Amino acid sequence: MPDSAYISNDAKHKTEHWTSRVLLISVWISASFMIAGSLIGEIFPSTIVVFYENPTLGNLAMRILSGSFDPVTLMFAGLVFLMLTPIFRVITAVTGFSAERDWRFVIVAIVVLVLLVGEIVYSVLIRN
Amino acid sequence: MKLLPLFRIIKKTDKHNFHTEFHVPITSFVLLLFGGFVAGSFGALLGLGGGALLIPFLVIVFDIPMHQAIATSIIAVIATSSAGAAMNLERRTVHIRLGMLLEIATVTGAILGGITANYLSSDILVKLFSGLLFLIAIVMIFRARRHNGQEPVYTDGSLPGTFYDDADKKIVRYTVKKIPAAMLISIVAGNVSGLLGVGGGIFKVPAMHILSGIPMKAAAATSNFMIGVTASASAFIYFAHGHLNPFIASTAALGVLAGSMTGVHISRRIQSKALAWIFAIVLLGISIQLFLR
Repeated sequence: MPDSAYISNDAKHKTEHWTSRVLLISVWISASFMIAGSLIGEIFPSTIVVFYENPTLGNLAMRILSGSFDPVTLMFAGLVFLMLTPIFRVITAVTGFSAERDWRFVIVAIVVLVLLVGEIVYSVLIRN
Repeated sequence: MKLLPLFRIIKKTDKHNFHTEFHVPITSFVLLLFGGFVAGSFGALLGLGGGALLIPFLVIVFDIPMHQAIATSIIAVIATSSAGAAMNLERRTVHIRLGMLLEIATVTGAILGGITANYLSSDILVKLFSGLLFLIAIVMIFRARRHNGQEPVYTDGSLPGTFYDDADKKIVRYTVKKIPAAMLISIVAGNVSGLLGVGGGIFKVPAMHILSGIPMKAAAATSNFMIGVTASASAFIYFAHGHLNPFIASTAALGVLAGSMTGVHISRRIQSKALAWIFAIVLLGISIQLFLR
């Protein structure tokens, strides 16, 4: 393998950089929700409202949008955000590979994204 | 046998268990955080998700049902991967293109594993998990002795990659061989991940290192990068089935996040040979622990 192959590969690091940024930002957002939920739950246990079963994604979004920041809702929000983090980074990879005009890997990343979105749709269907 | 109570009920306000007032005792809270921290540290060091350590910890110490332990572990795997990959990407030890390619296989396997797990009983999952760890520990010990930590780096493959090895103080250049074989193993890795809540690095790291000729550090970093997406592929299925306990999962995830960031920093100063040995010894210890239970 000639040196130029490694050099051209080495130059393609914007996708890596932006993927790293997206992962860090998502992790901090989800950790903030979980820390807030855990602390409020530990300090003010009377504020804990236990769900009879795990909320649906729609219910969770509605609770947050309506300003219901009880500890369990905050923890679930952090967990769901964390579960979505890998999907955010695949979307970033699609964008990054597109910017690099690396169409082969744009398709690869889109296939991964379709599989992940399909899994979310499946989980919503089995819940309903 | 439960060693520690996870929750302390303060007041039940109705028979349907809505609005039950309780809290997690501080000892349990700290222990969950600590368990997550240890699992996250080792996970980041070894390219694992931390589930191989976290699941036995949750089941043995807190007597948590296996499905809930798996769901928690899957969250921990995503946390380990996200925090570790963010740093490894900047350090350029992750082969992002190879990772994305293999993710097609791992995600497919993980979705099927996640669906299957919900049709199996907790006892069967525990037996499968302990058997899996025992088998892997034995294979890894033989492999670590046979290869003696040597790096089978190839330069005549495809998808060239390069990174700076802090421990050896040199730039490492490599290419990837036998991608179809690595993809086949990745399907199995994804399936085991979805079924048993481990990251699947136990399959992918050796496959990438020995089969595809990727240096151990790049293989561990790429595996760590991939396991987040693999875990995410089954996470929503466990969530939909109601196996995700927010108190357990969020506390363990916070510990795992801190641990995985620490683990990535420590990994810079550890030789690949030591990494391979730690990998084998840790797995053997866990498998014995589960067999004795």
